[in-house]
Parts: sequence; structure tokens; C-alpha cells
Amino acid sequence: MAASTIALFAAVLAAAPSGTARPLPSGPTLAAEDTLHTEVPPVLVRAPRVTLDEILARVERGERRRDSLMTDQRFLVTARLVRTGDARRAPEVLSEWVARVFRKRPDRVRTQILRDYQAGREEKGRPGVKVQLKARGGMDEEIVNFAFRPERRRQFRYRILGRDLVGGHVIYRLGFEPRSLLDPTAPHGVVWVDTNDFVIVRQEVGFDHSPAPPLLEDVQRIVIERTNVDGHWVLHRLLMRAEMSVPLPRVGRSFDFSMRFDDYAINTGLPDSLFAPPAKGKS
Amino acid sequence: MSRPVLLSAALAAALLLTATPARAQVPAAPDTALGGFLRELADSTDGYFGLAAAPTDTAGLDTVLVDSASRPARRLAAGLAPDYDFNRVDGNTWGGTLTLRDGNQEPGEPGFGRLAGQLARAVGPRTTLGGARYTNRLPAAGGSLALDLWAGRRTDRLDRDDDERALDFLRAFVTGDDASQYLRADGFAGSLDHGHGVWRARVAWRDLWHSPLATTASWNLLDRRLVTPGNLAAAPGRTREAGYALSLRWPWLPLVTEVEYQTASRRLGSDFEYRRTRAAAALDLSLGRVAALVPQFAYGRLTGDAVPQAAFYLGGGTMRSLHRDARAGTGLAVARLELVTAGDLLETLRLPHSGALPLRGAVFGTTSAVWGRDPYTGAVVRGDDWPGRRDWRGEVGVSLLFQSALFSPGSTLRTSCAWPVGPDAGGPRWSVSVSHPLDLLRFAPDTD
Repeated sequence: MAASTIALFAAVLAAAPSGTARPLPSGPTLAAEDTLHTEVPPVLVRAPRVTLDEILARVERGERRRDSLMTDQRFLVTARLVRTGDARRAPEVLSEWVARVFRKRPDRVRTQILRDYQAGREEKGRPGVKVQLKARGGMDEEIVNFAFRPERRRQFRYRILGRDLVGGHVIYRLGFEPRSLLDPTAPHGVVWVDTNDFVIVRQEVGFDHSPAPPLLEDVQRIVIERTNVDGHWVLHRLLMRAEMSVPLPRVGRSFDFSMRFDDYAINTGLPDSLFAPPAKGKS
Repeated sequence: MSRPVLLSAALAAALLLTATPARAQVPAAPDTALGGFLRELADSTDGYFGLAAAPTDTAGLDTVLVDSASRPARRLAAGLAPDYDFNRVDGNTWGGTLTLRDGNQEPGEPGFGRLAGQLARAVGPRTTLGGARYTNRLPAAGGSLALDLWAGRRTDRLDRDDDERALDFLRAFVTGDDASQYLRADGFAGSLDHGHGVWRARVAWRDLWHSPLATTASWNLLDRRLVTPGNLAAAPGRTREAGYALSLRWPWLPLVTEVEYQTASRRLGSDFEYRRTRAAAALDLSLGRVAALVPQFAYGRLTGDAVPQAAFYLGGGTMRSLHRDARAGTGLAVARLELVTAGDLLETLRLPHSGALPLRGAVFGTTSAVWGRDPYTGAVVRGDDWPGRRDWRGEVGVSLLFQSALFSPGSTLRTSCAWPVGPDAGGPRWSVSVSHPLDLLRFAPDTD
């Protein structure tokens, strides 16, 4: 390395012109203008900055409005359990469950299971890992806004972490952490709030300690994403990586769990008959 | 040579064709700039989670395997489980529980509810215990009412404010350390409970025939002497009692308060006439992000017939340097100040440990007093609404706390060593308990 540096230095020296007069460059030359100066005077903004309390109140209202604008939903949900890879083996989907869900206010739900895959099922004698989920009727997506609901406001301490100007949107990053230190399993996190609608568009959640000791050693990361469908912000993905304290058969110690919500159709006027049980005597 | 290549190409094309709609299903954000911003964040998430974040393969999703609409709206689910219990008044108690519940009902949601029938044989007194219990959530304005109805014959604790049933069983069975006092209860008890965010209320009614019990089993696995060989006799008679409870999380203050009131009256057909009031308050103060300071206070007062089953008991959870139910009276006052560390104690001490075993530490000081008629001796300790200065007892101690969802949400396994303070103070006492951090509260609103 040192020899090559010396050789390079020698080559540069050898290539340098030995005379005192430098020849003028033949191409264009970059010149710096240093005679003109400009200064923008500071502008004193007298309008009060929106306080954190006001932002929280607007998020609460924005989330309520988001919920109120939807009367029915149809979407495809995929729940997947993945054994994370390591140096010895590649990641593997242990279980995947896909369903089409129809929801209508106030609490009507219909779930059609389209796939129920378990990696160990076809191999005799090996235990499979089954993911089973039940859709609920509400559309308020508590998993996204749990820390910003009015009844939880007193449980968390909030702060503004930053603002991003994205096109015509101001995105606030708000951090939240539990006020009480008595519950070590309480989550903390960050949400991204689009101030055009004051709706949470993304959330990352973490824990200082394992939320379920001694079974879980750690929850390393939880990400929740929303997407905009026809002007409605709806849950798009929930991803979690966790580590068990003891390896489980097939799963091992570290695993990812994800839920993906696709193929939304919102406010299409789902008929009540869609949710009615089939009449007796008919196949 | 070309056939496998063609097959591979066809397979790849088919996979691509099936994968394309899945990508197309991802709706684009309406605003390009915001969409791009969120996609950038999502791409980073994709990179972290890899396979778990991959789009759904929609091939083969045109067949419905199970449709919830084809299931009956109500489905009865039955379960049968064996029961075993042990304490010094019943000895071995063998039995079983049959449960019937609405299989489609989610926890906390209205439905047909849950009916449990229990039948057990207490070997010591050679008697049959059991009964039926029905629980359900009834829809109510702004939430739901929790209904709990029970009828039958059971063994109850005289100390109705503190129930460590699971630990009492272990103490009695393994070491003979169970110091709870017991009575027999035959009849009916029911309650309606409503929680609404920051407040919670309950109304209850019970019509029970109480009868005293004697010790019938003096053995334990380690063959130790019983900490409490006898059993305090309950006053025999019929108790018809109405109960009310209200708790509140104060707005903008880390303060929780609660009041419970029970009244039994001869006008209601009860053999006893008493009014029983218990109030408690707890503060949860965060000291930076380092520790929590928890002052708590509880006060109880019984007027009318001083029956042991309505008295206030001290010890165990209320006074850790004393055995459970060690002291009793018709008046009770307890004040405790506790400092609980926030971080993992082993991490702070830089000791190697697993993340699955987060331990916190606590130091506490308690002062307490009981007064009025002592159900153990019948003597009357001076004091009407407040104890005399000389009747207060103190303690200081340390605890190790382990919180796990295995016990119950929010519950903490606590190992404590408490030293009595005062002129006639004895040695330290070690204890293990499962409790909530605000453990002088009995009826706090749910944190959710």
C-alpha cells in the first residue's frame, strides 16, 4: 500500500510541468463572483406556533374524522409468520393465512379464508405453526392510534421530534412514551402525522424491556404503515420482529410476523345480505 | 436441453404474471411527493424485514376455504377441566369444572356469556363444594357491563380485601405458610361492573350463610409446622349485603382514588347489621426516567356488628413484615411510600443476564394501624375514627419485582424482605406475592 502510494506520488511529480510559466487551459474555466452580495432580512413571524396540545387535539379529531368517513370496507389480509434467517439457514415462511374481509358498520364482519398454509403440515411428524386471526367490525384502527386516543392521552408523554416538508404536506414526527414507569411493558414510539388531514400515516413502536417475559426475550422492531386509498388512510402493513427466550420447534428464536392489507374497496355500499348467515336447508 | 429452459421460463413467466396483480393492488398515494416519501420509508422497512414484508402471492386465491357466513352466528363451546385445591380447613379438595360458553364471543364483547359448573369434594371436612357461575358482558351506553353471578357453596377468606388464592394454595401445600383465615359461604352473590376509561363503578349483592371452619389438615409437603395452626371462627349467620364501589383516575394528576361501601341490614333480612367503608388513594410520580415514587394510603372503618367476616385485616400485601391476616380490627389505616426503579436492575449493575428476565428493585417504608374490636382476642383497641399514636407499627424493606403477562396483565411477582420498625420489632421477614404496583388499591379502573 505504501509502495503504491509512493509510486503514484512519483508519477504525479514526473507528470508535473517543470517550467515556471503555466499554459492557459483550453476549455471553459469556472469563475467565482465575489463582488455582489445579497442578504435576506429576517422575517419576524408573529403568528403563534401550533402547540403540541393543539397538534394532539387535531390528531384526535383527524383520526375520528377518518373513521367516520368509512361505512364499509373490503380488503385482502395476509398474516405471515417467518423464521428469520441466519448464517446457517435462509428465512422461511412458516405459516401464511390469507383472507378476504368484508366489514360494515356498526359491527358486521364476514371473513373468507383463501389460504391457510403451514410449512410443517405436509411433513409427517413435524409440528406446524398455525396463524389464526379474527377480523373485528370496527374501522378505527386502534393499533395505529392507540397512544393518541383521548382516553390514553393521560398515559403517555408526547414531544415533537421533527417536521418534514414533503410537497404540499407538512409531516410531523411525534414521539410518545409512557408517563408511568411502573409498567415496564408499556410501549414507546414515533408516529408520522400528515398535517393536511392530521392522520397518522406511519408508526414505529418499541419496548424498553420485553413486553411478555419470560417467553419473549425482546421485540426488536414494530412498524405500522398506512396507505391512502381513494382519499381514505387505511392500515396497509404491520411488521414485527421478535426473539423468543428459548428456541421453539420449527420457529427457532427469532421470527418476523407481518400483516398486510391490500386490495381495498371502501364505501362500495356492501349489502346487509352479504353478512347474513345462509338460510337453513340451502346448500 | 431446451425443454428444461423453456419450462423454467414458463414457470418464471407464470410467477411474474401472478405476482403482478399483487403489486398492482398496492394503491398509490394520491400525492406523488408524499407517496414517494412514504415509499422511501417503506423500502427501508422492506430491507429490514425481507420475506415477511414481501407482497402477497395471489395465485390460487380464487377458492374460498372457509366462509364465516356459513358458520352459525352462535356456537356453544364446552370444556371440562379437573380442579385441585388445598388449604388447612378443607385439606385436599378434588373436583372438576364444566364450562359452556359462546364460541364466537370475543373476550369483552356481548354474547351468550360463560356458564361454569363446579363440583368438588373437600376431604378434610368430608363435604361437597361447588356451584354455578355465570359471567357475561352486557351492552350498555358507552361500553358494557360485566355481569358476574354465583350460587353454591364455597370456602371464602375472612379478609375480603385481599385475595391471593393461587399463592395461598402453594403456601399451604408446600410449606404450611398459609396464614389466611377461612369461612364457609353458602348462597348467592352477584355484581355488575362498569368501567369507562378513567372511572369504574360496581354494584353488588350477596345473600350468604356464613359458618365457621376448623383446621382439618396440618400436613404440608416439607412437613413444616403450620404458621397459623388454628382458624379464626366466623360469626355464623345469614349476611344479606349490598355493596357499592367507585374508583377514579384523576384528570391531569397521576392520582387514583377509590371508595368501597358495603351495608348489611336486618331490614334486608340479614342476621347482622353493619356498615363497612374502605377508601384508598395512590400517586404514581415519575422521577425523570429513573424511578417512580409511589405514595399510597388506605383507610377502612366498620360500624355496627363487629363480625370477623367484615373486619379489616393487616399483613401480607398490606404490611409485608407481618404474615397475612396477622392483625385485625374494625378500623384500618395504612400508608406506604415506595421507590421503584424504572430500568432493569441487572443491566444497571452490569451483570450478565437474559432480556427475558427484567428485574426491577424497590425500597419501601410502611406505617399502619388497626383499632377497634380485635376479632382474634375480642379486646377493643382504643380509637374511634383514627388510631391512637402508640398503635402505629412501621416497617422498611426492599423488593425485587418481575412483571410478566404469565400471571395476569399488569401483575408483578414481588419478592420482599421487610424489617419491622419500633420498640418491639422482630427480625426481617421474606415474602413472595403477586400484586399490582399500586397494591393498596382494590378496585382501580383499567388502564385501557
